[in-house]
Amino acid sequence: MLSESVAAASSRRGFLARTGRLLVGLAGGGFVLEALRAQKAEAFHFCGHIYTTGSCPHPVGLPRIDAKGFPLRAADGKPVDDLGRAVDRLGRPVNAKGALLRDPDGNPLPPAPRTRVCTRAGREFGFRGQIDGAWYRCCGGHIRKLVDCCGYVGNRINGDAALTGYCYSGRRVFCVMYYDTKIKC
Amino acid sequence: MVGTVGAARHRGRAGAAFTAGLLLGAAAVFTSLAALGAAVSGHAVLVVALALGALAVVSDALGLRVRPQIHLQVPEPWRRRMPLERALFLYGLLLGTGLSTYVPATAAWALPALCLALGSLGAALAIAAGFAAGRALPVLALAARGGETVLAERPQGLRLLRALAAAALLCALVAGRVEAAGTVAPNANDPSVAGTDVAWQEPGVGGFLRRAGTAAVQLPGDNPAIGATFVVWHAGPQVTVADRATLAPALEDTIPGVQKLAVSRSWLAYRTPTEIHVRPVTETGPGRIVVKVAQPATLGRPALGVDLVVFHRASRDGSSITAVNVVSGRRMTLRSSHDDQLLNPSLLGGQLLYVRSSRCSQQLVLGPARKGARDRVLYKTAPLAGQDAGHDPGHTHQGERLPCPFRPKPTTRMLWTTALSPTTAYVTVLKPGSGGRTVPTLLAVVRR
Repeated sequence: MLSESVAAASSRRGFLARTGRLLVGLAGGGFVLEALRAQKAEAFHFCGHIYTTGSCPHPVGLPRIDAKGFPLRAADGKPVDDLGRAVDRLGRPVNAKGALLRDPDGNPLPPAPRTRVCTRAGREFGFRGQIDGAWYRCCGGHIRKLVDCCGYVGNRINGDAALTGYCYSGRRVFCVMYYDTKIKC
Repeated sequence: MVGTVGAARHRGRAGAAFTAGLLLGAAAVFTSLAALGAAVSGHAVLVVALALGALAVVSDALGLRVRPQIHLQVPEPWRRRMPLERALFLYGLLLGTGLSTYVPATAAWALPALCLALGSLGAALAIAAGFAAGRALPVLALAARGGETVLAERPQGLRLLRALAAAALLCALVAGRVEAAGTVAPNANDPSVAGTDVAWQEPGVGGFLRRAGTAAVQLPGDNPAIGATFVVWHAGPQVTVADRATLAPALEDTIPGVQKLAVSRSWLAYRTPTEIHVRPVTETGPGRIVVKVAQPATLGRPALGVDLVVFHRASRDGSSITAVNVVSGRRMTLRSSHDDQLLNPSLLGGQLLYVRSSRCSQQLVLGPARKGARDRVLYKTAPLAGQDAGHDPGHTHQGERLPCPFRPKPTTRMLWTTALSPTTAYVTVLKPGSGGRTVPTLLAVVRR
């Protein structure tokens, strides 16, 4: 890390970068500088992710999870079942207003399976998925916990070689998820 | 071909041999395609077949050039080297495949695709018969008139033929679409079928029974079920078993908490909020508990075969369809899933009909009532939820993983309870109403 900093500071590219930022800063002020910084984070597919490992299979798409690893809808943080429907805390489907959906007799509609995202990834790809470690970033004004789904795998979900990342005991990162905390940053 | 048939000494026998060859060739190709379609049928195959059908309708209606064409002819020497009947039979066999020579109308290309999409041997045989008749009749008619060159000299005849083919294909496509899922009754739920009789529940109104060709009559109770010679309903906890023909009560009993019923020649099954019971249909009392769950897991409406009761169990851990032999007590998990929701099975003649709701679609499926058997889709609709972009706004696509291979357009309409007759599969569709309540519509889907 130190060597990279030294290289960045001493290389021609580092010099140009610094000169460029200075010029931009003079011309456009802090707003433009902030935009340039933001572009650096956009290299990966969701905020806070710092490598190319793909998302874990998730019923809605973006791999947002709750504190226990169950799927949440990324847009609003509502819990969803494996069919992607919004559900209550007992896993029963609810409508857009949060009211329990009922059959024509007035009974709640049956719950569909709701599986931890890492567990489901393991089931789908033939390994025992587990969460070992995580890292944290500031995303959208809140601390985001980035979580590796680990297993004894040779390849990650992308199909190429898996890395150790935040996994232990010989396990490697198969795919990634995230948990948005309520802690402001 | 007109000349060859016309030159035969026994024109009738020659025509019959040609027609038989056509029928056999067409049947072989189209039923093979149907068998293949039954194995690989899916949404994409159906869409392609419908698109081809629509294209053929336009092409034949406008008289566009028929493309593609196979630039082959039937082997001419056969007519000289073989007995004429045998040669004509073989010519028929080749022409019947529809894939070995020029075709006179684009509709001929839509038929194999439709066979593949339908995946039904019966439908394939019907298409083959129609195709063979379409190829045989002009040849036989012109041979009888001795007008080998009529079509070539007066192309209006071929033009008319193509227009008729377009019209017939259009009718078939429209009828197929209409028949795909017809409404039996609005605001109707929980169908039950025996022979040509159908019973259902209208929420807030009561149970109804419709006999073949007659208007539905309201029954003096709720949640009716029919089976063998019986019809059963309940009014609160009061359960009535009645004769299906006369509606005369044969047995009455009080069952606290009863919600859903099923009846067969020998058995009565009922569901309470957390249990399913079975007992002989001629006896009273609570009977035997077949299954019990703890909420929020739920049990579906029971359905009865001869000595089998089937039901679904749905929970957050998974869902399954179980059959219990009510004589031996043997329990079999017919279908189970940790990902999909399996709902509301029906049984008839060893066939199991149920709803499979998965992340990317809802399906009404039919398959053998044994463990691990393959199902085929009778009706399919959109999934119950959409998907997001898979990446944060302004971020790259690299690494995103979306649940469905296509972007689904979700629906709020949910496939629900089922019933099965020899010709028709019934399914209730729930449409969300106000305050989380749902409004049912009963659909009929033709079995194939």
